[in-house]
Amino acid sequence: MTVELLSANHAAARAAALAGRANRAGRGFGGGVYPITPQTECIELLCRQEFEKGEIVRVESEHSAMAVCMGVSLGGARAFTASSSNGLAYMAENVVSAALYRLPIVMMAVNRTLGPPWNIWVDHGDTLMLRDAGWIQFYCEDNQEVADTILLAYRLAEDARVLLPVMVCQDAFVLSHTMMLTDLPSQEEVDAFLPPLELPHAVGGKPVTVGGLDFPHETEVHRREHHEAMLRVPAVYGEIQDEFERRFGRRPADRVEAYRMDDAEAVFVSMGTTASTAKAVVDAARERGVKAGSLRVRMFRPFPEDLLATWLRGRERVAVLDRDLCPGLGGVLWSEVRGVCPGSLVQNYMLGLGGGDIRPEHLEQVLDDLLARAAAGEPRIVEVG
Amino acid sequence: MEIRLHGRGGQGGVTCAKILAAIYAREGKSVQTFGDYAGERSGAPVRAYTRVEDGRITNRNKVYRPDHLLVLDPTLLGDEVVTGLKPGGTLLINSPEPLETHRARFGAFRVAVVDATSIARAHGIGTRSVVIVNTTIAGAWAKVMNVPLDRVEEVYRDLGLLSNFPAARDAYESVRFDGAPRAADATAADAAAPPAELPKVEPLVEHRSSPPTPLKTGSWRTQTPVYTEHLAPCSAWCPAGNDAIGFVQALAREGEEQAAAVLGGTTPLAAVCGRVCPAPCMEGCNRAELDGAVNIRGIERWIADHVPVARRRPAACADSKRIAIVGSGPAGLSAAYQLALLGHAVTIFEGEDQLGGVLRTGIPTYRLPREVLDREIDAILALGVEARCGEFLSRERLAALAEEYDGLILATGLQKLRTLAVPGADLVGIEQGIRYLHRVNLEGGAPLSGEVFVLGGGNTAMDCARSALRSGADRVVVAYRRTRKEMPAIREEIEEAELEGIEIEELVAPVAFHGDGRVAEIEFAEVDLGEPDESGRRRPLISERTFRVPCDHVLLALGQSGDLSLLPEGWELAEDGRLVAPDRAPVAYAAGDLATGDGTVTHAIGSGRRAAGLLLRALGFEAEVFERPDRSKAVPVTDIRLDHFGRAAAAADRHLPVPERLNGFAEVNRGLADGLEAHRCFSCGHCTECDTCLVYCPEGIIRRRTERGYEVDYSYCKGCGICVTECPRSAMEMQSS
Repeated sequence: MTVELLSANHAAARAAALAGRANRAGRGFGGGVYPITPQTECIELLCRQEFEKGEIVRVESEHSAMAVCMGVSLGGARAFTASSSNGLAYMAENVVSAALYRLPIVMMAVNRTLGPPWNIWVDHGDTLMLRDAGWIQFYCEDNQEVADTILLAYRLAEDARVLLPVMVCQDAFVLSHTMMLTDLPSQEEVDAFLPPLELPHAVGGKPVTVGGLDFPHETEVHRREHHEAMLRVPAVYGEIQDEFERRFGRRPADRVEAYRMDDAEAVFVSMGTTASTAKAVVDAARERGVKAGSLRVRMFRPFPEDLLATWLRGRERVAVLDRDLCPGLGGVLWSEVRGVCPGSLVQNYMLGLGGGDIRPEHLEQVLDDLLARAAAGEPRIVEVG
Repeated sequence: MEIRLHGRGGQGGVTCAKILAAIYAREGKSVQTFGDYAGERSGAPVRAYTRVEDGRITNRNKVYRPDHLLVLDPTLLGDEVVTGLKPGGTLLINSPEPLETHRARFGAFRVAVVDATSIARAHGIGTRSVVIVNTTIAGAWAKVMNVPLDRVEEVYRDLGLLSNFPAARDAYESVRFDGAPRAADATAADAAAPPAELPKVEPLVEHRSSPPTPLKTGSWRTQTPVYTEHLAPCSAWCPAGNDAIGFVQALAREGEEQAAAVLGGTTPLAAVCGRVCPAPCMEGCNRAELDGAVNIRGIERWIADHVPVARRRPAACADSKRIAIVGSGPAGLSAAYQLALLGHAVTIFEGEDQLGGVLRTGIPTYRLPREVLDREIDAILALGVEARCGEFLSRERLAALAEEYDGLILATGLQKLRTLAVPGADLVGIEQGIRYLHRVNLEGGAPLSGEVFVLGGGNTAMDCARSALRSGADRVVVAYRRTRKEMPAIREEIEEAELEGIEIEELVAPVAFHGDGRVAEIEFAEVDLGEPDESGRRRPLISERTFRVPCDHVLLALGQSGDLSLLPEGWELAEDGRLVAPDRAPVAYAAGDLATGDGTVTHAIGSGRRAAGLLLRALGFEAEVFERPDRSKAVPVTDIRLDHFGRAAAAADRHLPVPERLNGFAEVNRGLADGLEAHRCFSCGHCTECDTCLVYCPEGIIRRRTERGYEVDYSYCKGCGICVTECPRSAMEMQSS
């Protein structure tokens, strides 16, 4: 293992390269890439990597980037790409296709505000737009987690019980361009963790048509299979957590990461780096006697309803912090969380839309507002500037 | 520990923050570093941050209350930059100013100052215009924070920045800093620190604010383009202070009348200079980097040969002074012209029978026809200047002049001739070149024959050699103790001389002359070149190896110097050419070679103009005093977009064929065939209304004014800087909004 000062973009590229090389005894590695701020650094570094088997293809658009990944993956090789924001929007058709083909592609997505008007900073609206595309989705909180999640995403995606693509999401700039000391395993360690991919429906050998015409009944079966694969993810993920910890000495966070929840009465629920600030505010609140806690939704798809229901049972007040907006409804995270904890006061706050720096002062105000409430109200957009 | 950096796009602030992080990572600390990304265009303010902790870092916010601050660009310095910096924190500034200057302003902090820009520039990091200071200032940081230099070196090696380490080491060694904040006790420091105006946290009420966006095309603008005139190198290089770019562009765009008017503001001797000037303007010309310097001297001559440049009407002067000018060479004439133009009564005293000084006595007519010289002198006299010729002034007469006149300018040139103290130097046939030229130019010619040796390598040597060749010499040899390339003569003069058949003998020094009453042989010693002397030329070392050559005439052109013995008793030459006397101080200035010894007509013209200004100031007038422009301020060629310009060879001067030249003293250089050469001028730093900015503006918001120039609709300008980047001639720049 080596510890290096890396941006999360570079950490992701290095992790993808490690995973890719680990398949050299199989059918190799590949992917299509197209640059977009703030993902560009990641694919630049990836394109400079040497692979014994396979290559990274620079294409003319995100749509083609995912098309290349599908070809790579269908051929039985390990596939990777990265994108962001409007690039994901343009890619969307093939994002859906990749999931419906049940291909274990891993994509690093840097969360960036959708435009126009153009804004390069963090907002989760881009990947949440794809929440029903049939992919597994992780949202990371720090650099190490980005690298680790890329590695374990392949293990999860390629598990015969799952066979689904995985999106590893990280906050624009706050993670993508921030450098921290990051621990990368050696190639041998990754080789041992990620055995060569054996895709049961890989093409090659004899001619075959994939993605032909489905009649209604066939679609019903396909959809059910896709759904059941998603439902198996939590159990498989648990096994991978154990395996990862055994091999690398650190345990990947749970699907929902709990912080000071034991006796918490007022709980923040958030995703991505907002949780870092939430934890700092929880500490400060407890200093002044407020029983606060924090839950971070790390795996958003499949939605960890089970864990959230357990953690939130009996809590008086819940503030769901969304860095996204479903116009006319409210936060996307809130719209899903509010159903799992009947009896709690669940209030939605949308902060940092468009990438404003959510500071502790903002969350302290949110906490004060939450504690002062007699009942939940309309979702609120908080302007952090 | 939290560190914040302020820099500008292009200085490498984000990488600097990474270097700091890497330094602490090597100490086993946890680190985090990131840039504050926005419209990070070149020159836009950029922030970067570094956090250092013993334990795991979880804070993902920007740094609002830094423990320490680095400022990579001194123009960013202000209260806004130090906002939130904790009292007593280190404030490291890249600045050429002394520590005390900044300490006076930021006493609440521990101030450190390093001139990172100069260091980085000296190490060639970045370009001349955009110096990358990040790796340099990081070295200063290490020193201020007690980080050992060898650890810095290790980090630079790890990061692949080892080639920049010498600059970091220079900064490490030269940074100046306080041991502690000046306001040592915490309360005083608190009071002295500027109020921390952190970003406002709006109360959590139902608010829907609509931030003002006066800019219709976005909110990322940090700088706006403006049209600015920058100093052109030709004008900066001209010792006479001629507005070189002004007359060239006037010719190109408005015609010769306007061009002559521009020239007439600074010189009455453009037809002269257009013939005899070494043309430093052309050395400075940026076009040399593309396809050869613009033939500015040829253009000057072409203008002055078509339209007299001297202005015709003196200004009315209510308090006209009587001014005596001694010497009528280029310095005296230039001073006379400037003073007469302002309405003063000028009398020129000249020892020879005609005005012109060295222009008449020294420069042969094949270079400067007398009708050209007479025409320009007549134009000066037409302003009412009186000339008294034919009397060399004694010291007493000079002292009396200072009493008779309100002011005196002494421009007597270099009267003292260097001689040769070797055996046989007094033999017949050995003559000072200047005397010889005087005979050629003023005494109806000086025929000679046989083998002529000219000793020296300056313009006088070339003039002697070429005059001798035209006066009957069978063979002319210029003997010089260094090599051709060290000769101080104008390049073209050397080339023309060789073309005409003059031989050049390099690396020889005369050690004796032999002959029986009349010189018959020169004994030369071979010369070796040693280490460079103060002039930068290699020092000639005379060897023991000698040889003799037969000769019939020897002309000495070994240099001249000013003769201060003609100054009245007790007078001294002081700074800036001022002449001081022990009793009643005369209002008197020396000008030209006597004052400066620069040795060219163009320098003399500038010096005469400056002396005229200084004299008027001394007489109580609000006069403009000519200052030589700072060449380092001129537009560098790196700021010229060469690919905008098509290649076109410089228009060459026309020359008389060699066989025709040697029959007499007809003018050799016939000048340019037309004035089209002016169109090759880049117009460095001066807008020509070429429309490039207008064409390239992506918003289409630049439009021509009805009079001259352009206007930008700033309500739409998004500050992209494309117009400035595309401007072929650096006539625009970005300024902070």
